[in-house]
Amino acid sequence: MSKGLQDIARELLEKGEVQVVVGWGAVKADPDRTRPILVTDPDEVGELVWNPRCVNNLAVYLTKAKSDVQALGKAAIVAKGCDVKAITGLIQEMQFSRDDLVIIGVACKGVVSDGSLWQGELTEENRDLKCRFCDVRTPRTYDHLVGEEVPPVDAEDDWKDVRELEEKTPRERWDYWQEQFERCIRCYACRQACPFCYCTRCIADKTLPRWIESGQHPRANLAWNIIRAMHLAGRCVECGECERVCPVGIPLNLLNRELAKEVAVEYGYRAGYDSEAPPPFATYREEDDQSFIR
Amino acid sequence: MTTADSQSSEQEQRREGAVGPEGWEPKIVAFVCNWCTYAGADLAGTSRLQYQPNVRIIKLPCTGRIDPVFIVRAYEGGADGVLVSGCHPGDCHYSSGNYHARRRFALFRKLMEFVGVDLDRLQFSWVSAAEGAKWVDVINDVTNRVRALGPFTEYQALSRWWKEVPDEQAIEQRA
Amino acid sequence: MEHRTLAGDGLPALIDELIKKGMRVIAPTQRNGDLAFGQVSSSAEAVLDYFLCKRSAKEIVFPRTEAILGFDRSGGEVKVEPPSMQFPETVVVGARPCDAASLPILDHIFTWDCDDELFTRRREATTVIGLTCTTADNFCFCTSVGLSPDNTAGSDILLTQLEDGQFFVEVVTDKGEKLAAELGELFREGGDESARQKAGEKARALVTRSVDVSKAKGWLDDHFDDEMWESWMTCLGCGACTFVCPTCHCFDIVDEVQGLSGHRCKNWDACTFWHFTVHASGHNPRDVQYKRYRQRILHKFRYYKDRFGVTLCTGCGRCSRHCPVGIDIAEVLETAAGSAAS
Ligand code: SF4
Ligand code: SF4
Ligand code: SF4
Ligand code: SF4
Ligand code: SF4
Ligand code: FES
Repeated sequence: MSKGLQDIARELLEKGEVQVVVGWGAVKADPDRTRPILVTDPDEVGELVWNPRCVNNLAVYLTKAKSDVQALGKAAIVAKGCDVKAITGLIQEMQFSRDDLVIIGVACKGVVSDGSLWQGELTEENRDLKCRFCDVRTPRTYDHLVGEEVPPVDAEDDWKDVRELEEKTPRERWDYWQEQFERCIRCYACRQACPFCYCTRCIADKTLPRWIESGQHPRANLAWNIIRAMHLAGRCVECGECERVCPVGIPLNLLNRELAKEVAVEYGYRAGYDSEAPPPFATYREEDDQSFIR
Repeated sequence: MTTADSQSSEQEQRREGAVGPEGWEPKIVAFVCNWCTYAGADLAGTSRLQYQPNVRIIKLPCTGRIDPVFIVRAYEGGADGVLVSGCHPGDCHYSSGNYHARRRFALFRKLMEFVGVDLDRLQFSWVSAAEGAKWVDVINDVTNRVRALGPFTEYQALSRWWKEVPDEQAIEQRA
Repeated sequence: MEHRTLAGDGLPALIDELIKKGMRVIAPTQRNGDLAFGQVSSSAEAVLDYFLCKRSAKEIVFPRTEAILGFDRSGGEVKVEPPSMQFPETVVVGARPCDAASLPILDHIFTWDCDDELFTRRREATTVIGLTCTTADNFCFCTSVGLSPDNTAGSDILLTQLEDGQFFVEVVTDKGEKLAAELGELFREGGDESARQKAGEKARALVTRSVDVSKAKGWLDDHFDDEMWESWMTCLGCGACTFVCPTCHCFDIVDEVQGLSGHRCKNWDACTFWHFTVHASGHNPRDVQYKRYRQRILHKFRYYKDRFGVTLCTGCGRCSRHCPVGIDIAEVLETAAGSAAS
């Protein structure tokens, strides 16, 4: 697999079609993990790997938030189907156009969310949640494909994780989230790892006025986590990066998925499938539900 | 008694107005648009209509300018309930601000519900410049519902963090 | 140094005894699926057969957020409320040597040009019972920064489990001596020193990673500008590494105001954040991410060492373990040391 990928990358770099390939490479100290690497030299394509430990969503490096990567020149990106959803969203939000980018798609049967769960193979137990209902195991758009096409998983998202919490009482939900948010150390790894958190100045960093307190206490943490989720509503492609990178293990994707579910139910929209579609919060229908407004 | 049972009976009790300290009055923050609801509230005033005095009005150009973070700030500052109100669909002074707001708030209230906020504490209305009487009804109803819930103690408890070492507070909350 | 052995059923008895004596006991404890240092109300809540907590023990003396004063001008005049300086007597049980060692390292900065009383008073009120490691992974490199999995630095008492299951007790400081005296019976006189040596060797053998940190420093001293830094351009600029780190200590002073009253807070901050150095004009001297990451490395292995004579790192490996993009600090140092060689 990695070999085919390396050949494509070499050719792209040698021909000067791109100046940098954003891909995954090995973490030298931990063979169970991979990490993003930037390859600019055709002689270094040997460092590129593709395997079920390639969990990072590399689309984050394509945005203006990573200006130093942008400065390297035109990029080729190695992307799983779910990563391509993020790329599609970024194109939809006019962060770049499809022609600015070469996509080396990888056909994918799933990834492990955490290297420590890797036991030599992909199993039902260690496979990431997002892979269980994946309908993009072959990316929906690519310029080159590594591997044979993989059919979508034969199962629809049942929103089980979200519904389980919805069924609890308000007080139980409140306590549940307070216990989670209490731990938040405001490291903003969730934000920095998210391809859609590309704002030059995040609302959480604004000080005049300070909308979201920077303290790491329950009041401020609730505000941060609510507003972060809200800013991703209708945009989040549920790649799960925010949750994966959270060093204290807050189930952030559960919040995202609650909103994604509502967007799907209310507006029949799921993010990351159509770069031409109007984003759900940049548009409206006159007949949108307003039963909650008196 | 299971937890769920005691939960619901606790809620019923609240609805009967049994919760809330002596003399407590709900604090309601209303974010309203300048062109319809504010004018409607003004009409209620000039018509000398009486309504409960628990609402603090914050006027913004349009519901489209009401960011969810304002609502969070209101709760942080001690609001027991929040109302967002603007022009009826089709009447927005900026033609579509309220349509956009409608989508945004449809989601935001789901999110707040998901994190455990009772939606009687977060309400929405369309009140036109001619609807002074509707404004009165809305305010009375919102106030009554929030009154029945009692003070927003869960949110206000979050503001007590500095009294102790955060660690200990967390432990106290768990106990 | 006094040598003793922990009597009774070992750690649980120790924790329960400390609690009985009215002390606030902090130990690794499971909270909503996350193992972290926290107050325990009985030995049953403590998890001591653990590797490392995700977050370090620095929070015990340097909380994520604390109010340095409260203010209120709702009555017209400004009223200022100083913070409480009453900190309960606290015993940390089961800190690993890389956690314990961070405390004396932090003392340098918090007592440097002024005495940060919120830190120093908490520190005074805290006694640390360290615990020799029984596991390590490939991100651990404590032995490269002058520490080890059985090192006593920062511990007032160090416990090492011997092959026969007994705990060997080393009383390291006066504070430890005081606590040991209070615990009396629990610490039996005498201990099997050779078994202790053996356990120590075994623990040290767990750490296989070795970096020539002084060589790396030599290179860092004159390579502020170097291509090497650009190879870490993948850094996302989060604060995960700094916030889980036991030695990172930057904070920001912020007024948190609600209406006419509020608090002046001391909140953790991180040099890896974009807004850490941004000026009011909008100019940012560390304009791209690798320069912010460079600051983290230089502060730890060059500036702090130059200023205080100690390295600002205990080799715990947390930053590498939790980096979302797999940046491994030991590898960065290896690269620097390697460049120095060539
Ligand atoms: S969600 Fe689909 S494309 Fe993404 S890692 Fe899982 S199986 Fe692969
Ligand atoms: S990654 Fe986790 S701890 Fe960090 S800011 Fe986000 S939610 Fe908080
Ligand atoms: S919010 Fe989280 S799950 Fe959604 S796109 Fe961003 S990183 Fe991915
Ligand atoms: S810099 Fe990394 S290895 Fe060193 S003490 Fe901090 S977290 Fe541990
Ligand atoms: S080195 Fe890793 S953990 Fe640290 S700021 Fe960069 S991406 Fe975040
Ligand atoms: S002006 Fe009233 S909602 Fe837009």
